Amino acid sequence: MTDDQHPTRCPFILTDDTALDRRRFLRGAGMTGLGLGLSGLCPGQALARLPHEQAPHRQEMTSAPLEQSEQLAYPFYGRHQQGVVTPRQATGMVVSFDILAMDRDALETLLRTLTARIAFLTRGGSYPEHDPRFPPPDSGTLGPHIAPDGLTMTVAVGTSLFDERFGLASQRPTHLQRMQKFPNDALDAPRCHGDLAIQICANTIDTVYHALRDIIKNTPGGLLVRWKQTGTVPLLPPSPGDLNGSARNFLGFRDGSANPAAEDQPLMNALVWIDGQRDEPPWTHGGSYMAVRIIRNLVERWDRTPLGEQEAIFGRRKMSGAPLSGGQEQDVPDYAADPEGHVTPLDAHIRLANPRTPATEKHRILRRPFNYANGVETNGQLDMGLLFICFQADLAAGFIAVQQRLDGEPLEEYIKPVGGGYFFVLPGVTDDSDFLGRSLLAATA
Amino acid sequence: MNLRNTLPALGALALMTFQLPAQAAVSPDALVGPVAEYKLYVLDNLEDLVSHTEAFTAAIRAGDVDKARALYAPTRVYYERIEPIAELFADLDARIDAREDDYEHGVKDPDFTGFHRLEYALFHDHSTKGMNGYAQGLMDNINTLDSRVQDLTFPPKTVVGGAAALMEEVAATKVSGEEDRYSRTDLWDFQANVDGAREIFSLFRPLAEQEDADTVQRIQQNFDHVEAILAEYRVDPQHPEKGFDAYDEVSDTHRRALVGPVTVLAEDLSTLRGLLGLN
Ligand code: HEM
Repeated sequence: MTDDQHPTRCPFILTDDTALDRRRFLRGAGMTGLGLGLSGLCPGQALARLPHEQAPHRQEMTSAPLEQSEQLAYPFYGRHQQGVVTPRQATGMVVSFDILAMDRDALETLLRTLTARIAFLTRGGSYPEHDPRFPPPDSGTLGPHIAPDGLTMTVAVGTSLFDERFGLASQRPTHLQRMQKFPNDALDAPRCHGDLAIQICANTIDTVYHALRDIIKNTPGGLLVRWKQTGTVPLLPPSPGDLNGSARNFLGFRDGSANPAAEDQPLMNALVWIDGQRDEPPWTHGGSYMAVRIIRNLVERWDRTPLGEQEAIFGRRKMSGAPLSGGQEQDVPDYAADPEGHVTPLDAHIRLANPRTPATEKHRILRRPFNYANGVETNGQLDMGLLFICFQADLAAGFIAVQQRLDGEPLEEYIKPVGGGYFFVLPGVTDDSDFLGRSLLAATA
Repeated sequence: MNLRNTLPALGALALMTFQLPAQAAVSPDALVGPVAEYKLYVLDNLEDLVSHTEAFTAAIRAGDVDKARALYAPTRVYYERIEPIAELFADLDARIDAREDDYEHGVKDPDFTGFHRLEYALFHDHSTKGMNGYAQGLMDNINTLDSRVQDLTFPPKTVVGGAAALMEEVAATKVSGEEDRYSRTDLWDFQANVDGAREIFSLFRPLAEQEDADTVQRIQQNFDHVEAILAEYRVDPQHPEKGFDAYDEVSDTHRRALVGPVTVLAEDLSTLRGLLGLN
């Protein structure tokens, strides 16, 4: 792919109607809302400059990342935080912290510091020259000029933040809770939960680690890293020339095919973002729930499993990603014609995860996972899997309900959830006088 | 107890990062006095280290496990206080204070010697069997350290940087409880590292204060804070020589409460060299 083909590298710009046509939401009202948002999303890139015949490929949130420009900057200020409906970058990390701050004032200082650092890091810039007799203010891993590099940082809080320490208990989001063990879990305590988590994503892992080290350097006495997990998304299209297909996970399947369209604002308002319609404290409006799961894949065993069985386990074709009921990746699986599961087994992953009935619409979640590879287990098998991340406006109706339906699925023989946690994504920061968590502190003042 | 003293530490965060430090105006001559005083401190501690090691290793050679166990932590204290200087001699430091993790074959590694090898015998095996050679070796190495330090010219940079180095030591191995994993006497070492860092800080404090009174005050408060938490675990506050409770007894909440001020101390003390104009 060359710059010629993609003269403006903004993934939000959608002009190729044939590509657009493939997505349900664009046939509906989503389009207008989307058009309005464009200029704000990609500063300095005018739609008019895009020659129609050279339009970039339409990209779904979980497509193989096309956008690799160092100068790509996602806006930090807004009603919602970035990194939720943002097209998935090539690398991501969830880092979870214990908060060391001892009271509300220190907590506020911490949240203000985080806000200021994230505003800087996601915009990019330079550090001032520094007296060499002092430790430098920056790790220097990106050189003197920090490019935004598609960086997003999404700050979320765990239920433990609402314990007795900070007087926040009365304003705990309704569904925020400690992640409980599901039957197939083998949770490793040091990789679970946390007071505060940040999802850090960027084009390159260097930018992710630079951001993390900046946060650590600037919050001594405020935050202590509890665990972290990085992951990647393949840059390769899932099959040659197929730039629109969902990127593959480490089991070799396309992951994200049936994700709700992240660009569809009304849909996101219905499924992901919290507003006044929900039974939640008002300070939460504009926020969301983030469920994180570190799910090991037993890849050696998987690779010794017949292809047909693999496809039956997911309910999709491995190479094309098409549902077993036929068609192409983006086509909707037909369960109505197959009530006994002869084509798509009743316990196939996608059929359990989303039975596609009107009653189960409210359980839809926005998945934003990354593939991870850590090292080697003592038995010589690879420690790799899926850093599963999903967002929803109702944690109980979303992740928890879906996971409960998946409990006992045939896929369990090949996966082992070992860590993660539930977090509440704070509402966005509206301008430079605002800060992350301000509405929460104000509601408990 | 009051764990709230981290507030000033965190309150000044933004300043710590965004402000260019003042150009240091401390003249090199001003450092001579404090450096000389620090050498006296080190020599005093070395004297105690030698005499305590004599008693400790004598108990091992006599096969007196209980006595040797009782002398283990109080002896190490003198080494831990002067670590920035002791570590200048990497060959000795490896033989005196290495941990089993430093060796590929762990406890069984023939090169693993020193305090922690003896700790393993005394607190894990409950025996002094086969330890005479290790005891003698420790004594010899401590004596060598003593004579080398007598002749050493203390580089101001190392001395001033030592305060931060000691806190890095605490942050890396003490809070996690890795240092004295068999004897569980980590808090003795923890306190000794803090003592050593505080000594350096106190000697240079008047000079540093002229450059950045806020940082100096924050350092002071965080030292107080750390020591207040440590004091909760003294066996008998009236008798500091009785030392500390076993590290297993420190609650998770307190371990976490220690990390905050320790990290801020490491961060602030890392600017001490710059404040004093040392390259
Ligand atoms: C290692 C673990 C997992 C793997 C390898 C995996 C893989 C996949 C694959 C290949 C698909 C089909 C393509 C697609 O629509 O994205 C899929 C769909 C889906 N998965 Fe998973 N998944 C895993 C865990 C989970 C978990 C923990 C949940 C939620 C609790 C979940 C929820 C879903 C949902 C909702 C769909 C879409 C179903 C639809 O709407 O048709 N998955 N997954």
